[in-house]
Amino acid sequence: MKRYRKPIQYIILAFVVLIGGYAIGQSFFKKSTVLKAGEAAPEFTLADLSGQTHRLDDYKGKPLVLNFWGTFCPPCRDEMPDLQRIYEKWQGQGLQVVGINLSEDRISVRSFAKSYGVNFPILLDKNRKIERLYGLKEYPTTFFIRPDGTIQEIAVGGPMSESFIEQRVERLFQP
Amino acid sequence: MFQNTKCECGHQNPTGTVLCEACGNPLVDDLPPDSPLEMRYDGAARRSQKQNPDLIDRVWNFFSSVKVAVWLIVITLIGAALGTIYPQESSFVNLDDPAQYYKDTYGTWGMIYHFLGLSRTYESWWFIGLLVMIGTSLVICSLDRVLPLYKALSKQQVRKHLNFLRRQQTVYETTLQTEPAEWVEKFARELKRKRYRVWIDRKDGMALLAEKNRFSRWGPYINHIGLIVFLLAVLARAVPAWHMDKYVSLDEGQIKQIPDTPYYVKNEKFTVEFYSDDELPERLKGTLRPKLYETKATLYTCTADCDDPVKDPVLVPVKQHNIQVNSPLSYKGLKLYQYNYEERIRLISVKPMLVDKTNNRSYGPFELPMTDPPLTYKAGPYTLKLSDVYPDFGLDEQNRPMTKSRDPNNPAFVFVVTGPGLAAGGEMYIYFPMPSAENKKLQDQLNESFRKLGSNSGRFAFEVNGMENVSFSQYTSTLNVRVDRAMPYIWVGAAISMIGLVMGFYWQHRRIWLRIDGRALTLGAHTNKNTYGIRAEVAAALGRTGIAVEPKALDNRRNKR
Repeated sequence: MKRYRKPIQYIILAFVVLIGGYAIGQSFFKKSTVLKAGEAAPEFTLADLSGQTHRLDDYKGKPLVLNFWGTFCPPCRDEMPDLQRIYEKWQGQGLQVVGINLSEDRISVRSFAKSYGVNFPILLDKNRKIERLYGLKEYPTTFFIRPDGTIQEIAVGGPMSESFIEQRVERLFQP
Repeated sequence: MFQNTKCECGHQNPTGTVLCEACGNPLVDDLPPDSPLEMRYDGAARRSQKQNPDLIDRVWNFFSSVKVAVWLIVITLIGAALGTIYPQESSFVNLDDPAQYYKDTYGTWGMIYHFLGLSRTYESWWFIGLLVMIGTSLVICSLDRVLPLYKALSKQQVRKHLNFLRRQQTVYETTLQTEPAEWVEKFARELKRKRYRVWIDRKDGMALLAEKNRFSRWGPYINHIGLIVFLLAVLARAVPAWHMDKYVSLDEGQIKQIPDTPYYVKNEKFTVEFYSDDELPERLKGTLRPKLYETKATLYTCTADCDDPVKDPVLVPVKQHNIQVNSPLSYKGLKLYQYNYEERIRLISVKPMLVDKTNNRSYGPFELPMTDPPLTYKAGPYTLKLSDVYPDFGLDEQNRPMTKSRDPNNPAFVFVVTGPGLAAGGEMYIYFPMPSAENKKLQDQLNESFRKLGSNSGRFAFEVNGMENVSFSQYTSTLNVRVDRAMPYIWVGAAISMIGLVMGFYWQHRRIWLRIDGRALTLGAHTNKNTYGIRAEVAAALGRTGIAVEPKALDNRRNKR
């Protein structure tokens, strides 16, 4: 019996460290639903108004402005023309602007995009899935995403002014 | 501390031994001379007690201490109590900004409470750390005591030291009037009748050990095994697949995905019933007393195209259940409980007619679902194209139509009607399916303004004939979705723990030693509880062998006082 005392001690303490470490570690790394600047933007696959699928990965290598919006949200509507102008201005330099609609009917989204003359890709979220994935708390929320896929800045609420957007876009282009 | 561990009987004991493993003679000098002996673990040394402990031994010894265990439990209890001062964050269905909520609801103390992390006490690292430490302490304390105790009890020496016998709680000394060997035989028979196991010293038959219910000594350790299973099960809840606690709100007829699962649930119908007045006692008459909350629910699983953004997921129904309070829908560890409901009328679909006001003829009906409506409809010779949908109709600052939210609270549809006798571009009409005076007015105003703009001729209107053409949801039902795979283990742990407690509480380990030196009989008896019981047994057995003695007289403590 005595011979096994030491190994038994080691085995039990190893178990404690393993199980305890896991349990305590879990409490530290509880995945928070809130994204922060510096983190990688979560991957998604969504369809646009014409039924074509877009993945976040498709935009890797280009600076990206990802705008969550809904027709029911006045500031979202107000900032849409500014986003469109920025898109037109910076498109040539490689800027991507993508709008993700907040799980509304395709018809409302289409007629809204048409009446506002939006021609950057508008993707349709379904059942608030991607919205939840990105931990949205307020509308609109805009993610400024670097070419490597990490978030540079999150603008919560709105409307954002054209100069506000432009400053951040310029920063996206700085190496 | 240097300690001579060799007993006068010649037995070499391990460090920390209180009573000689062989003869039971006390080895610790500073025991008060007259008091009964400390019989914990039969005086055996705790397993890990060593003369030169290294680091691992020190850690081990820390957890091996009962004093430490008690403090850990006290601290955990205080921590757990602190967690109950204000509601925990996890008890809210929807809490977007907990810091703000605690500040607004509970003032400064709430702010401090949240700042200290007490609003998440039971998930905090320190609380889980305490549980892990208690678990460790349980394992190590038990192991360090149960093994020496087991060893001590399985190789007991029959002949004990006089000091050991005289310092038990139950003691009797006398001079035998009869033949000692014969008396021992007789006494042994009496004890056997009381279901004692009896050993008589093989050498000369002048010493005896009788013992019963030894198994009750293992009760605490079995209890501890149960607690460890229980604790491990609680910690296992941290594994994401083992535990889920979510809420899904569904209108009648609505189908929704249960987040992070391949399952979808549909609310076919929600029913709430209240007791009628004749069913209620006098004092409750006239009050609303719920009798039934029921959600007729169907659970689906997604078999294909689950994450395809273009195609709709392929759903297969797997279970149907009428969910009532305490009667959840249960499927493969997933449980859906009735949690809440709200009366909120929402249209599911309507079947309106297209009415031509010029000749009062109506066409249709056509089916118009409120969510994901198709783009085109046929009504008689006319084609209706949906050009805009406002699920929750409102007007913005510039009096343009907009939707106030994405919930179908008051939907409005804009159609372009084309067909015989109409301009090529068609005519545009707005339609509010929700019947209300306000909607009627709005609809008329808006269609009139369209007419002024030249978008329509005012020829058409929409009409729903009778309630059979309207399907609506009256209630929104909220279901609580739970997965708790740890629960069976928690029950098993609790059951083992209860078995251990019963073993330890309802039986007592009783031992009687005696030795005869010449004609002098010395008897000592020990039990871990119920000393009255053992004194009565000893007195009765002595009485049957011709030694009349009052049970009370056997009480060693009483005699000394």
